[in-house]
Amino acid sequence: MAISDETLKRMIAEFGGFELSEEELALVRPELESYLAEVENIRNLDLSAVMSSRLLRAAEGGDADA
Amino acid sequence: MPSSELLKLTISEIAPMIQSREVSPVELTEAALAEADLRQPALNSFITILRGEALAQAEEQDQALARGEYLGPLQGIPIGIKDNIATAGIRTTVGSKVLRDHVPDEDAEVVRRCREAGAIIIGKENLEEFAAGATSNNPHYGAVHNPWGLDHIPGGSSGGGGANVAAGVTFASLGTDLGGSVRLPAAFCGVVGLKQTFGRVSQRGLMVTSYNGDHIGPMTRSVRDSAIVLQAIAGYDPLDPSTVPVPVDDYSLVLERGGSGLIMGIPSNHYFDLLDPEVEAAVRSAIAALEELGIASREISIPSMEYVGALRFSSMADSVVTHEPLITSSREDYSPDTLYRTLAGQFVLGRDYSKAMKVQRIIKEDTARALQEVDFMVTPTTPLPAPRIDAATVTVGGEEHRVRGPGSGLVARNTSPMNATGFPAISVPCGLSEGGLPIGLQFIGRPWEEGTLFRIAQVYENVSPTRGRWPDLG
Repeated sequence: MAISDETLKRMIAEFGGFELSEEELALVRPELESYLAEVENIRNLDLSAVMSSRLLRAAEGGDADA
Repeated sequence: MPSSELLKLTISEIAPMIQSREVSPVELTEAALAEADLRQPALNSFITILRGEALAQAEEQDQALARGEYLGPLQGIPIGIKDNIATAGIRTTVGSKVLRDHVPDEDAEVVRRCREAGAIIIGKENLEEFAAGATSNNPHYGAVHNPWGLDHIPGGSSGGGGANVAAGVTFASLGTDLGGSVRLPAAFCGVVGLKQTFGRVSQRGLMVTSYNGDHIGPMTRSVRDSAIVLQAIAGYDPLDPSTVPVPVDDYSLVLERGGSGLIMGIPSNHYFDLLDPEVEAAVRSAIAALEELGIASREISIPSMEYVGALRFSSMADSVVTHEPLITSSREDYSPDTLYRTLAGQFVLGRDYSKAMKVQRIIKEDTARALQEVDFMVTPTTPLPAPRIDAATVTVGGEEHRVRGPGSGLVARNTSPMNATGFPAISVPCGLSEGGLPIGLQFIGRPWEEGTLFRIAQVYENVSPTRGRWPDLG
């Protein structure tokens, strides 16, 4: 999935992001492309029934009353 | 014993000598500071060396021992602290130009606990700029050099600590690990690096760039020393909501149990998929050595590792939020590698962040399920030995991979998954490459079971081919 420089610039302008020149956008690209490749990789993954991963289980605590 | 020999001992070896006053904290600290001065031009492992403060702390510990006040095995031991961990009244740069004059008011909780245990802090250690990378090639304070090959990176981001422990400058260093930043320098520098369970050690006083997996952990020259340091810094911190009130085992007792009865899991996917042949050979040899020692093994699979790349979304987005005020005020003080890697995070969508959290949950469940069948998993710590400092890319598996900056990630592919799951992992040395560079073996365990990791790591340490080996620094 490719996103054009124009779209990225519009996202920055409309969402109050950090401005990037075309040269700078080229330097951000490798990280961005890596992110977009992973987005594509999980696009069809059904995650609707997955619970939060950050719920602490009380039983893990040493002192039950803590 | 000459001071140069004292510095080659481990904490567990020298602690009884301090307790019996055969060696004094002042004598040991003077030796460590002299070694730091000697090695700094070659290693560049410190940003700040704390001569006056360290000698004052050592004098206090001498006096305490003279009064019969023995605090435990860290008393009088020279250690280093990564320069992104707060030290009261001592500048803490986070490896950045932006924070070059930043002086915290309070010690980080781990620093407070180390001081309380009598440890002597001899310096603040060099790191990757903002701890955001795996090379410790710092654009503002200079590159850290690997004691085993000065033209090679020590790994990062806690490279100064790894180099100092390997070179015999410090007995232990506290690093931080958001994607492997303790375990990577441990592997590349041939020392022991621990990332304990998320919530086991307070992060208070660490400049946390992501709230989803940063850990403060020790680098040491032995597994027993790793256990000694964890014993001192572990425990609930009521002022850090990420810590969990789980009892901390007495690791010295746990270590006496050896590895008898433990079952080892060997992952059939992800961890062995992309490796330098020398790393694979060393790790397979280590697994064979464990089997010869009677450790049963079983192949395990974690299917959801196919989606592991999504775990980065949260740190990308968190990082841009953490840096927002600093980039706004001082953008020109950032290096291009850090700036453009960070700014990519502003394009992460909330929907994708949420999906990544769910992927994290799946991987956590799958890993937990695999660890019901076995007691621990064994993997290579890194896919390759330490790259050269001047290498922009490395070739592994027939493909070129970036070493630093935007798009890099190969070096941490085997360590970063456990930052997201929060499960504990430890790296121990398991061999040297043909070029004489260390190779690391990683053990991964169940939450809160660092003791199991210490047991198996120590069993392996006793037969590791690198046992007793030191880098030749002349």
